[in-house]
Amino acid sequence: MTTAVQPFDSSRLTFSEAEILDSGAYDTLLIAGGVRCHGGFDANGAYRSPRTVHRGPAVAAWQARLAREGSELLEIPRALMPPQYPNVAQAKLLLKNGVRDPIVRTLTIISIVEGFGAVIRDVRVPKLGELVVEPLEGTALDHLGRGLFEAHARDEAGWREEGGHKQMWEAARDLALEKPKIPADVMARMMGRTGRRGAAPERPFPMLDETLERMLAMLAQVLVVEVFAEGTFDWGVRLLSDPEVSAAPKEAGDMVRNIRSDESPHVEYLRTALSEVRARTLRTVDGKTIAGRTVVDALLHRVLHAVTRDRPRDQREDVRSSLSEAMQAAPNPAALLEQFDALEASFTPPERTGFEPLAA
Amino acid sequence: MHPIARLRRTARVGTLAARLWAHYKLPEYWRKLLGRPEPDEATKRRRHEIAASWILACALEMRGVIIKMCQAIATRADVFPPEFVEELKKCHDAVPAKPFEVVRAAVESELGKPLGALFAEFSERPIASASLAQVHAARLLSGEEVAVKVQYPDIEDIVRTDLRNMERACRIYERFDPQPLELLPLLRELTTHIGMELDMRREAQSADRVRALFADDPRVWIPRVHHGLSTTRVMVMERVSGMKVTDKAALEAAGLDPADVVQDLMRVYVRMILAAGFFQADPHPGNLMVTREGRLIVLDFGLSKELPDGYGLGLFELMFSMMTMNESAMIRAFIELGFETKTGDRNTFMLIARRMLSRSRTGTFEGEFTEEMTDELFEAIREDPVVRVPSDFVLVGRVFSFLSGIAHTLGSRANVLSAMGAGPPG
Repeated sequence: MTTAVQPFDSSRLTFSEAEILDSGAYDTLLIAGGVRCHGGFDANGAYRSPRTVHRGPAVAAWQARLAREGSELLEIPRALMPPQYPNVAQAKLLLKNGVRDPIVRTLTIISIVEGFGAVIRDVRVPKLGELVVEPLEGTALDHLGRGLFEAHARDEAGWREEGGHKQMWEAARDLALEKPKIPADVMARMMGRTGRRGAAPERPFPMLDETLERMLAMLAQVLVVEVFAEGTFDWGVRLLSDPEVSAAPKEAGDMVRNIRSDESPHVEYLRTALSEVRARTLRTVDGKTIAGRTVVDALLHRVLHAVTRDRPRDQREDVRSSLSEAMQAAPNPAALLEQFDALEASFTPPERTGFEPLAA
Repeated sequence: MHPIARLRRTARVGTLAARLWAHYKLPEYWRKLLGRPEPDEATKRRRHEIAASWILACALEMRGVIIKMCQAIATRADVFPPEFVEELKKCHDAVPAKPFEVVRAAVESELGKPLGALFAEFSERPIASASLAQVHAARLLSGEEVAVKVQYPDIEDIVRTDLRNMERACRIYERFDPQPLELLPLLRELTTHIGMELDMRREAQSADRVRALFADDPRVWIPRVHHGLSTTRVMVMERVSGMKVTDKAALEAAGLDPADVVQDLMRVYVRMILAAGFFQADPHPGNLMVTREGRLIVLDFGLSKELPDGYGLGLFELMFSMMTMNESAMIRAFIELGFETKTGDRNTFMLIARRMLSRSRTGTFEGEFTEEMTDELFEAIREDPVVRVPSDFVLVGRVFSFLSGIAHTLGSRANVLSAMGAGPPG
């Protein structure tokens, strides 16, 4: 028996936590490589993401309310999205030449980073009613700590007997590359990335309640990560569904497609919540007010500016630091490296993010 | 070691073994003979407390491996009753020091020169004394302040005698007890660890290795070893000073936040264990200090452990799945790490996973790997003897148990997800 997604009712704006977390029943469960994953299929074989019976309609209703109130739904320009390194052509070249470690490592790190998304359930939600001037009832903001963060966390890292995106990326990797040996340095590289983060940046809005500022900064950060993950999904689908390099092109490709469709509710609730803040006024700790738009745009600008510059550089450095060694598995490493470099597409971070503080 | 002394040690251990046997078995025979019911929990606890106090007294008197054995028991909450674990924890900082003349003779014999030709100053009172060695403050002729770790003379002979005696005692015990605790594997593990600890050149190399790992981290300080003045029995290293890691009042007086200290500690161990697969496996509070600037000092690399390739990722999977309440991933991680059940039934792991997750009342651990979780794991395993814990995991579990104990003392909790690179959330 399959539970249908609730029909869209834009007048209903308040949902219980249980409703937000409700996956309903599936006709067939999603099981990959022996691992029970979240989500499942309806009677027609169509994939339905977990926890979307009410969450999907709820987000749509909050977005409709924004539109009714004349507020815009913010959009992260896709043009800002940095490319994945190595790109699909480079990754295929490596795999065809038996150089698997860089790709296995990349896929494993993607799975871990996806899993880390679960920390969103531990984000502290302040008493928003006291910190925002306008009413919040019936908004995404009002549901962050009442199901939205928890649903997001469960989607990413799994929950109880279900695997989440972490386990689904692992399954896609294992299907496509036939349970490859995981390079022993994966964790060292993960933590090396952490080491590069350095000290926490200064607070851009010290006049705001600190918990509110942290939460908004986290929302901005996660939104950008989620939007830019689209590039990773595209890379994953194209690579893992290619029969030239994948042992299970259909299953592995479909798995990444399923993850991609699960991510859509994340992008939508995050941009809805940030748009709601943007349309409101925030109280400062000294009793004054500040436009939500000023805060949100500055936070998004800061994240976008950093991510469009740091992510491509970090990814490239990570891969290249062990590329020569990994290429020794190939018959002609020098020629392979030359071919690999020739396939690299340049990326210049755009000058503007579209959220420049002056534009506010 | 003099044959009389060897005989005396054997007799002392034999007497203790016989006394323990009588302490546990005679009341049982008596009870069965008279047809009395099973003793209640309080009686059993009291019996364990008395036995543990005898063992502790013997260990402090005889030192050597018996101290080590007690320390090992104190870390095996998965095997031994809590009364043993609590009492034998005292072995960590109750070892009496050897007289200075013994130390002087050992250093001069090892380094081949009189003490005065090597050091401008050498403190007669040790800074610390442990089961196999003690540490003295000294100053080199160059003026540099150092710490000199000196292995007790005859310790290798004592260790050999003790291990032989203990193996005999274990074999006799296993022959007489129809459901024996698995002591021989523990003894074999101990033999391996003591072998590592008796070689100070290995310890020096381990310190170098961990120092290299944290070369890019100004918040971590691993004392430098003077290899030219170090042998298998003596090790001279840079002298460091700081506050004891558990001294909350001192940390706060220095303007440090104990929560930051706890997080640094977790980060350092997570990096050693999960990322490098090589770690100092003895993080009891005596081996950890904090400078006034907040740098974490890690001492004593005698017990350092290399994990098999890929083990760090397996451990990460176990900890991460626990943090994210994912039972099925926990079960896969248990198997990946080498946990076994005698029956091969995976349901046992499911029950353990559920017990551990039940420690969260709110449905989340907020990234905290708590001592309760470690306790729950070991308790669940102790109560279900069909589970075999891989020895690599035992040392790791012991480390996290120590770390959570330190965090508890400091009134703070480490966010293990953040230490792994996931956070921190707002």
